[in-house]
Order: sequence, then structure tokens, then C-alpha cells
Amino acid sequence: MTTIFYTEPELVLGHGRKVLFLNPDDLQIFKDIEVADDLTTCGLKIEAADEGEPKATCTKLEVSILNVCYSPDRQLIALTTAGQKALLLYKSRPEHALLLSARSLARASSAITFAPDSSSVLVTDKTGDCHQYDCVEVEAPPKLLLGHLSIVYDILWTPDQKHIITCDRDDKIRVTNYPATHDIHSYCLGHKEFVSGLALLPGHEQLLISTSGDKTLRLWNYMTGKELLQQQLPAPVVRLQMRELISSKRYLLAVLFYDHVEAIGLYELELKDAVWSIAKESLVRAEAGNWNISNFALTSDRIYVAGALNERLTLHVYNITDGKQAESVPKGWLNMVMENFAGQNCVPDDLSVWFKKRYDNISDYMERKKRRIEDQHQQQK
Amino acid sequence: MVANNQESEALPATSAVTGLPQKRFYRQRAHSNPIADHSFDYPARPEDVDWRSLYPNIGNDQQVKFADIGCGYGGFLVTLGEMYPEKLAIGMEIRVKVSDYVVDRIAALRLKNANAATNYQNIACIRTNAMKYLPNYFQKSQLEKMFFLYPDPHFKRAKHKWRIINQALLSEYAYVLSSGGLVYTMTDVEDLHKWIVSHMMQHPLFERLSDEEANDDPITPKLYQSSEEGAKVVRNKGDHFLAIFRRI
Repeated sequence: MTTIFYTEPELVLGHGRKVLFLNPDDLQIFKDIEVADDLTTCGLKIEAADEGEPKATCTKLEVSILNVCYSPDRQLIALTTAGQKALLLYKSRPEHALLLSARSLARASSAITFAPDSSSVLVTDKTGDCHQYDCVEVEAPPKLLLGHLSIVYDILWTPDQKHIITCDRDDKIRVTNYPATHDIHSYCLGHKEFVSGLALLPGHEQLLISTSGDKTLRLWNYMTGKELLQQQLPAPVVRLQMRELISSKRYLLAVLFYDHVEAIGLYELELKDAVWSIAKESLVRAEAGNWNISNFALTSDRIYVAGALNERLTLHVYNITDGKQAESVPKGWLNMVMENFAGQNCVPDDLSVWFKKRYDNISDYMERKKRRIEDQHQQQK
Repeated sequence: MVANNQESEALPATSAVTGLPQKRFYRQRAHSNPIADHSFDYPARPEDVDWRSLYPNIGNDQQVKFADIGCGYGGFLVTLGEMYPEKLAIGMEIRVKVSDYVVDRIAALRLKNANAATNYQNIACIRTNAMKYLPNYFQKSQLEKMFFLYPDPHFKRAKHKWRIINQALLSEYAYVLSSGGLVYTMTDVEDLHKWIVSHMMQHPLFERLSDEEANDDPITPKLYQSSEEGAKVVRNKGDHFLAIFRRI
């Protein structure tokens, strides 16, 4: 898995065992994190494997980074790993990242997010559980906050810290009260495939954007669960990024499509005369088909697309305005980044497993039943 | 086994004596994986459910109030329909043949009792995965009673997440239940009973009814009689454990 996101002024790129914090306009690396190849050397205690789970999972498997997240106060960095499954918490300042704790995870993470006050971090996993890890007591064991019945693809916390919003493979968006997480506030229902991404609109309390494998993008009032806008898209969506363009009025919603000739869709959501609409849309080809795109990030003028080409991590940069390769990227910048990841294999994730497999276990039975009833009628004649 | 199956399938599935479907044509193993993908057609939202196809006489403002989760062959659901003629009750069952049996049974009961006072128009059964899709069927606070009768015990620890009563799911039940609504649980496995009680008690939105309150509930005696699993346990003189909880 490749993580990439932009928080001004840093472009953060995580892959394999390395995270780079880059200046997108200069050949400068603000800082980097390299995770040990054996996390027990940095304090990870591997708990005995759960009953029924094969013991092999906790022995030598190559450590690789799954999710990376900055705390809102920029003081902490959380990252999760596969192989040796762990949550690593770093202090990001003053200079280089300093490892604070390595806590073992029962299962590989699927999404992470910090609390708005940076006091804890939430980690979701493939079975749908969401655990809270304290960031003050950095060794404290986790608390189970809530559970879905399928993998959670995205999680966010509302700025007032009163609600946690999660979305899953069973087409659901769930709004849970916090700290009373046993109390579900609402569901936003209507998607007909997995829900892959969530974003809140700054300046508008209660409004939520979601993207799905059902080829739609939707706007919700998450407090009432009411759908306010639905935009049909050319393909299923696997990732969502949002940028505010004009304060409280215009937002850029960028989506990564699953298996589509034009990899990225750009949609400008606009509020005009109290009505929301998609004011502008465009598609970015991003050389789809020539390489395996796995993730992307937005800056004010560029789209950074990460993926695998010949099993090597590859980065391409495009202009938001015209969708062409960005010429403004400093010379040698891309090479510098990619050299940093040389030697780390890059195998793209198989996202086809996100879609539900519809195996038919009814037709056969119904067919046999029909025959039985026909036979019955025959006999009666 | 195969020959036997073919032979039995050639026989009429509906009893000539009672006019009701015969259970032996709908037998199915007791376990189903609730986490796996199944080919369900489930509604995206409660507003999308076509309740009239299930309850032809449903009133315009009428909503389902009782849900029997994992209703099995529907024995208790039928009793519930008789006890509360003015309430709509739904049975939810994940197994194909078993839910089909209940659908056929209700259809036969409706036909047979078309002119009777109790005409079974207030009960229906759908095949679904209640662990995953309850919020797809019910609005917040819609239900007054939920029943979990003889749920699959899933003895292995690794499969405890498959249990119909677990910490994460209780919040979902609390969501679809109205304040004051009741959850009835019944099992013949003592360990599961203890598990259910401890999880329900830990959940801040549920409290257990006292023995007195439970005994005063008109449903209590019926729970011991009318579920088929219950009848089997009674026949075997086994213990069964009832616990009722209130949504706070």
C-alpha cells in the first residue's frame, strides 16, 4: 500500500518501510522515517496469536507501512504497519521524527485518523472494528469504540469531536456519537456498493461527501442521514480527496477511479443561492493503463499520483488546470523521490476484492423446488 | 443420501392433511457464515422496502414493530402474530431453505384462514443477514421488541464475532429499538446465556428485567412453548435460559 497526502507545506509519501516528508517545490526533504525491519528491536511486544489464527502470522513477515497520518496540531505522526502489525507513534518536532511507542495491532489496519484535539488516534481494521489508542499515555492498551461487520475504508472525526463517521464495504456510512460510542446517531444510506471515501466540507457543519463503488458521489446531511446531492460518475471510486477553493462556497472533489481509461475525476462542488451543484467537471488521464495507480494527493495546483511501474514505486505529477504532466516540478525532483524508494518492491493492491462477490445460492434451490411442485401437480392429475 | 433426497423431492411438499408445507423438504444445516458475501437483494434504505409486498393489508402509517432475528422455521413468529393481531412482526432468517419454508408456511396459513379472525396478515419473513442489514430495513427507534431465540452458539472463540449478540452489534440493536423496547434472548447453552447477559449488562443502553418483570411478561410462557428449538429442548428435558433486556 502507498500512502500519499499533502498538508501544507509537506507532501507526505509512505511506502515499504519509509515515509518521506517532501517539499514539492524544492529538492528538499523535510524529514524521513525509516521503520526497522524487525519492530521488536524498537519495543514492539508481539502478543500471542489469537486462538484459531495461524501462529505464522506473527513470525518473520516483511514489515511494510499501511497508513500514515499527521495529528491536527502537527506534533504527532501515526503510522501502521503490516507484516508485524503495529501502530507506531512519533513525535514530529522539533527536528526528526522520534519514536514514542510501538503498540501491537490484532489485525492489519484499514484506515486511521487522529482526534481533532490530537489526544488519541483511531485505527480501523478489516473486520470492521475501530480501536482508540491514547496519545498521551502512549503505551496504553486500546479501547474498542465501535464495530462494523465488514472492512472500514475511511474514518473521520467531526471538528467538534462529537461524532465519528465511518464507512464500510457493506454500503454503509455510520455516524456514531462520541464519547458515547455505544449510541449510533444516524446512518447515511443509499450507496449500492462499498463506500470508499469520506470528506467533511469546511465551513459547513453537518455536511459530508462520500464516494462509492456504485459510481456515485453524494452529499449528505450526516446528522439527519439525508442525501442532498448525487453525482453520477463514469466508474467506481476507490479514493477521494477534497480541497476548499473558495471559502465555504466552492470545493474541489478529486476521485481516483477503479479500472477506468481516465484515472482521475475532478468535480467542483458549488453552493449558489442555497443550492449545491457540480459546477465544473474534468477528467485526468494520468496515463491510466500504462501503470498501476494506487493513490494520489492534491496541492493547490498539482495532482501527485503514486503507483507501481515494473514493481517500482513511481510518481507522476499533473496540473489540476489542464490535466497535463506538470512541467513546473523542479528538475530531478521525481528522480530524487523515486531513488529514495529504490530497492523496495511495489506490488499494487488488488482492489477488485472491494466489490461484493454475488454468488448465487438460491437459483438451484428454487429450480429444484419448482420441479418438485410440477411433479406434484402431475401426480395429482 | 442422494437417492433419498431425490425420492423425497418427488413427494408433495405440502401436507394433504394440514394444507401446510412440510418441514422435511426445507431442512438445512444450522450454521451460516454471517460475515461472507451472500446473494441478498437488500434495500439500500428503509424507505426503499416494499412492505406492501410482505403485508398486503398494511396501513399507510403502519410500521413493523416486532422482529424475530434468526426466526428459524417460524414457530414463534406465528405465535407472535396470533398474540398481537394489531402489530406487524417480521421474521429474519439467513438460510435459504428455512426462510423459504416460513414464507410458504405463512402463505398457506393466510390461505387456510382467509375468513378467520386470525388471518396471519400481520406476519412475514424475509431472507436476509440481520447482522449486516438491520439499518437497511428499520428506521431509528422503530422496533418495540426484538427476539433472539436459540441463536447459533458459535462455540469457537475465533468465531465469537459471528455471534448475534456481541458488543458491536448491540449498538445497532439499540439504534433500531425505541426507548423502552425489549430484547428477548433464549438459549439452551448456558455459556452462551452468560455471554449474552454479560454483554448486554456491559452495554450502557440496555438493562436486564428483574425475574418478576420477566415472569409477568405475557410473552414469557410462549417462549418456552412455541419455538421449535424450544419444543425440542423441552422434550429433551434440557435447561433453557431466558433473559429479557430493556432499551434505556
